[in-house]
Amino acid sequence: MTTDHDGVRELLGAWAFGALRPEEERSVPRHLAECESCAAEAERLRETVRLLDGPRGTAMSNGSGESGGVLALALRARPAAPRVAAHAAPYAAAVAGLQALVRELDGRWSTPVVHDWDAHATVAHLLAADEPLALCLGLDARVPASAVPEGTRWEEAWNTRTAEMIAHELARTPEETVADWSAQAGALLATPEARDPERAAHATTLMGIRLPVADHFLVRGFETWIHTDDIGRALGLAVPPPPEEHLWQLVRLAVRILDLALGTTAPPVLFAVAGGEDAQWVLGSEDEPVRAELVLEPVDFCLLVGGRYAPEEVPRGATGDEGAVRNVLERAAALSWL
Amino acid sequence: MPLETTGTSVEPAADAELQRRLVYGDESALTEAYAAYSGLVRGVAVRVTRSPAAAEDVAQEVFAQLWSRPYGFDARRGSLRTWLSVLAHRRAVDWVRSEARHRKAAGADDSALQAIPDTGPGPDETVVDRERSLLLHSALAELPQSQREVVHLAFFAGRTYRQAAVELGIPEGTAKTRLRSALRKLAESVADPPDPALERGA
Repeated sequence: MTTDHDGVRELLGAWAFGALRPEEERSVPRHLAECESCAAEAERLRETVRLLDGPRGTAMSNGSGESGGVLALALRARPAAPRVAAHAAPYAAAVAGLQALVRELDGRWSTPVVHDWDAHATVAHLLAADEPLALCLGLDARVPASAVPEGTRWEEAWNTRTAEMIAHELARTPEETVADWSAQAGALLATPEARDPERAAHATTLMGIRLPVADHFLVRGFETWIHTDDIGRALGLAVPPPPEEHLWQLVRLAVRILDLALGTTAPPVLFAVAGGEDAQWVLGSEDEPVRAELVLEPVDFCLLVGGRYAPEEVPRGATGDEGAVRNVLERAAALSWL
Repeated sequence: MPLETTGTSVEPAADAELQRRLVYGDESALTEAYAAYSGLVRGVAVRVTRSPAAAEDVAQEVFAQLWSRPYGFDARRGSLRTWLSVLAHRRAVDWVRSEARHRKAAGADDSALQAIPDTGPGPDETVVDRERSLLLHSALAELPQSQREVVHLAFFAGRTYRQAAVELGIPEGTAKTRLRSALRKLAESVADPPDPALERGA
């Protein structure tokens, strides 16, 4: 036998599928002409492929028939993120992201997520957390609220409200809670303030922080993503970080709030977020030389600010005064506005 | 013969980025996926169902699922190309089975298999071939994932075994072996009775 029996035998599967390189194609028939057992196997495998393939020409003659309706019909399977102004786009995307994730939650709604919340309570919490902005923009409360005594601090009022909302929702089905949360989010995204930056420019105090309405929309996007990520972790599903441009909007907002929290007397740190254009700031006192440099990845920084990393655990690049770095990280983790 | 005309080598990062946009409700991500893979998806479906109308339905279901359940695809576990191809194949096999059941239930004919092709068997296709084709496609849907992926790339996406190896990140020899093992298993699924001469000839 002059041809390579073992080599050709190994190739027969690929040969039958027509998946050889052109230069290999020639070696197979030469060997098959000499080797009965290979020829028998080759015939059997090729016949199998023929049966998979159907009569000649079926696949190709029909495979290219294009009707433009298929894509349009497929798109109806789920609403796209609504088109809104840039300041509301991260919230619109995060809402779409959670709506996609809840479809994976069938039968798993009681999975523990964060704090003492299961997945159902986490969505109920978001329904509560979106409410202050909704009320501020003139929407109605979706769950009746008990009266809050005059002079109650916002944290206390908020804790009461979120507990009340969660208790209310846990008496309903997760689907009803999701429907309510979705409806409120949809209404928020349909407000003129979500579509027109000028209408969203005025500052208002919500949850203890005074920001332009546009930034409150960003905060909603931030929190919605963080809790979606919480639910994803609980389910073992990797939630991708928000689209790049949204992620940077969240990073820049968080840096502004961190800068305010650090004030003008903290030991100055040159803080950079990796991969961003002009993503470098001096935080703290402006009157002293920089004591340290700190670099974080954008997602890690967001998770730190969102309270999902302990200050000592967040992956970082740091040089210089360790105390100054620790101060920044601890202050970031303590923002805990989510 | 390649059913797919667009898309080059698989980049896991590109697939992950597309999935990210799908998750966050970006319609243009579905449009891109559709432009790249609808030819493949339709081709897979029409090869199994023999029906262009059924292939349209399968394509719609497949892209609707990608859009409405983007978490079903995980770029760490394989490429979008193979994921869509496998999904289209499974849906198409289900279509043929349910079509056969319906016709049988309607009592039109005791042999469901005669009723499968809605266009009737082609001139060079017999009813027996049609029956064996369904058995084969059912067996293909049941192959272990490692073998199924490489068959999808070679058979439906028209890749050589070397290209398939690169796309799957496996050695060429492994791709070659998997194709042969898969095909032998498929051949056995329609072999009756088993031929002792071939059983010996490993």
